[in-house]
Amino acid sequence: MHELGVISSMVNTIEKIVMEQGLTQVHKLVLEVGELSGVVPRYMEACYPAAVYKTFMENTVLEMETIPGIVRCKDCGREFNAMAHDFTCPDCGSQNMEILSGNDVIIKEIQCS
Amino acid sequence: MQAVKVLEIKQSVFADNDEQARLLREELKKKKVFLLNLMSSPGSGKTTTLTRTIEALRDEFKIGVMEADIDSDVDAKTISQTGAKAIQLHTGGMCHLDAEMTRQGLEGLDTEGIELAILENVGNLVCPAEFDTGAVKNAMILSVPEGHDKPLKYPLMFSICDVVLVNKIDVLPYFDFDMEKCREYVKMRNPNATIIPICAKTGEGIDQWADWLRGQVKAWREA
Repeated sequence: MHELGVISSMVNTIEKIVMEQGLTQVHKLVLEVGELSGVVPRYMEACYPAAVYKTFMENTVLEMETIPGIVRCKDCGREFNAMAHDFTCPDCGSQNMEILSGNDVIIKEIQCS
Repeated sequence: MQAVKVLEIKQSVFADNDEQARLLREELKKKKVFLLNLMSSPGSGKTTTLTRTIEALRDEFKIGVMEADIDSDVDAKTISQTGAKAIQLHTGGMCHLDAEMTRQGLEGLDTEGIELAILENVGNLVCPAEFDTGAVKNAMILSVPEGHDKPLKYPLMFSICDVVLVNKIDVLPYFDFDMEKCREYVKMRNPNATIIPICAKTGEGIDQWADWLRGQVKAWREA
């Protein structure tokens, strides 16, 4: 379960941020999940309660926003949605591309007190 | 009840691990321990390649090996037979090692006197690519039976590797593996990756791989 490790890593990142701010309780967490990040939102949701069990993030609401995977063809320069076009340039058929967005999982905001 | 504060973070979920990895790299630099992170899918020949690597370099470097697996200690036993210091790490079900687990592994290995530490990561092409272990260089093995299109299917793994070893070239006649296509696909994901065809079983190409690794350790020490 790949998503489990991602959440565990994230809990550490958030714990540092929250402590630095002198806060203790997290109510809600908003994540930006890139389509090309390899993280599946559905699995993320499913394992979230188990991953944060007995951590300070227990009982936190998880909200996710999807960031589209946009790439630029390195051969003709066309920009397109990688998932919609099966990682193949709709203009020239090349699979040689650079990722412009949707490669990361970003903590967008946390609501805490 | 206290007022709820909204913090705009805009930070990667891996930020904490990336920071731990950076600190570990600095520490290892001070201790003069070169850490190599070796990754691949299960069954690509990591342990056999490692055995060959140790045989090729053990007269030049004091080598220590960390074998990471979900369970068992078969790999650490195999490596111990080469005379290199080896320990087995269990990830407790996790499919990768992160920087903190690597640090604990290095403590368990005891790096005193070790010049080249090699981490054999969990056999997996997805998660290990996302977690920086603190290694100086990342190496991966792609074996011929897996097919030349792996770089297209696992782009992140290939994009973070400094060197790709194409293993099991002795069975090339029996598979539809196109070495030129493989090179092309790896370069698409990572123009800077070095590609070295090897056969860990027969030892073919191991000299070239040992040369590469030796060169990296030397350059890192002088930097």
